[in-house]
Amino acid sequence: MLNLLTAEKIKIFRSRKLWIALGILFLLPLIQVMNSQLTVNYGTELVQAKDTVINGATGILMMEKNGLTILLVISAFINFFIGEEFQNGTIRNTLSLGRSRTHYYLSKFVIAAFVSLVGVIGMTAIGMISFSIVFGFGEVAEIGNYFNYAIKTFSTLYLLILANVSIYVMISFITKNSSFALVWSFLYTIATGFLPGMFLQTEHFKQVTNWFTETFLFYSDFAKDIAQFPKMVLVSLVTIVLSSALGILLFKRTDIK
Amino acid sequence: MSETILKATNVSKIYGKHKVLDKVSIEIKRGMIYGLIGENGAGKSTFMRVIMGLIRMDEGDVELFGKTGKKGLQHARRKMGQSIETPALYPELTARGNLQVQAANGGVSERGIDDLLHLMNLKDTGKKKAKNFSLGMRQRLAIASTLITNPEFLILDEPTNGLDPSGIVEMREIIQRLVTERGITVLLSSHLLDELSQIATHYGILHDGKIIEEFSREELARETRQYIELETSEVQKAVVVLDEMGIRDYEVINGTEINIYEQLDDVASINRSLVLANVKVSRIGTTRQKLEDYFLQLTGGNAHA
Repeated sequence: MLNLLTAEKIKIFRSRKLWIALGILFLLPLIQVMNSQLTVNYGTELVQAKDTVINGATGILMMEKNGLTILLVISAFINFFIGEEFQNGTIRNTLSLGRSRTHYYLSKFVIAAFVSLVGVIGMTAIGMISFSIVFGFGEVAEIGNYFNYAIKTFSTLYLLILANVSIYVMISFITKNSSFALVWSFLYTIATGFLPGMFLQTEHFKQVTNWFTETFLFYSDFAKDIAQFPKMVLVSLVTIVLSSALGILLFKRTDIK
Repeated sequence: MSETILKATNVSKIYGKHKVLDKVSIEIKRGMIYGLIGENGAGKSTFMRVIMGLIRMDEGDVELFGKTGKKGLQHARRKMGQSIETPALYPELTARGNLQVQAANGGVSERGIDDLLHLMNLKDTGKKKAKNFSLGMRQRLAIASTLITNPEFLILDEPTNGLDPSGIVEMREIIQRLVTERGITVLLSSHLLDELSQIATHYGILHDGKIIEEFSREELARETRQYIELETSEVQKAVVVLDEMGIRDYEVINGTEINIYEQLDDVASINRSLVLANVKVSRIGTTRQKLEDYFLQLTGGNAHA
């Protein structure tokens, strides 16, 4: 496993895709702070419930504010990063050395999770710093222990993102092709992101939507729904375990062309 | 007796209703260069993929370096290298980068990289990315990539595919050098018997997913070597004349035909001796069964040799 991770490290640091993905995630908060500044300049007041990030303290919610963008950027990165191994045939080089398919799958997941973590840490840090510079650090309404809140919020948001990362990794291994993986990942993101908006209106399906991480990511207010964090963590962990188990199982049965 | 590197017994693979491999059995011993010959779609790549553990077989057994079972084979495969069909490389990485990745995959040191780049004539590629390499360079880099883990057994699927004549010669020389200098056992495939005949020590003909014939280099040479074909109604008398001439390597095929395998440049004097001894010669001349013809004969004439 360590050998595989070392190989992944060599590939990833020389990959243009990594820097493009991280570049987008790091640039986004800067653009948003400029937009917010312009909005204020035009006389509109920033409202936390609507704008999510309104100062340095609420910068911890950058993942909530940019949930969809993060998912789309990360999914594109993962789809290419894994799909190209199948398309270039380089997956053969590793597997034919007798490397375990489970280890191979997990090494890809670990790298995807690590890249996502770096991306969201960078995005949150840049967001907090830039919003602090422009609007001051301020506070999150009704939060007494900010540090505790920040750690819990960041961890929960990251787990929600990670659950989707796990799904994208699974899709990439099942489709074995960057383009197909892109399409299916996009459809998954859009479907589980926006259909709950409709189903949440009904009593029958309301509970079902809570088994999809994007429901929490898109429809929760992380400054208020703190009591929901354990539920979000549970749903994320279940998603990660189930999708990884299914992905590994199917990958082990896959013929490599 | 030399060590068995690969023993495949009754290996079968079925896709839908199509049996791509039908009870394929071969045995490769250390030091062999085993040429797997077959037309496109005969099952060569599928068989190689089964051996490498890339696809699952539906029936049969594979033994590698004396190891069987999932764990045993997984362990044995660390002593193997492969290049199946197109060269599998990271297009965005340099030659060195590609080798570094494979060294890491195999858990071996990067110390051998310079030697391999030198061996494969790639040491001057510098920062050039693999995507900008010629096909010949990519093939050489793919082989270098398999060698970084110091394999004892190499599987090469059509390594000369798409190469120009000089590239083919170069690739052949590289493979021969690997065998002589590093003692690597090789399984390689081609749809051209002629091409393999210049390098392989043993052959297996794969046709419609079945091994229909196996033979050694010597047997192939015997089957396809040049000889003088003599046709006469007096075979007994002709044999006496040949013995008097000191010709020992000949074969009486039937009541009217003798194949002579020596003094191939001396057809005229053999003819003269036979005529002087009053042997009625109907026909005499040198002939050779071409490798392609031999292959077609074995496969029933449907293959593109």
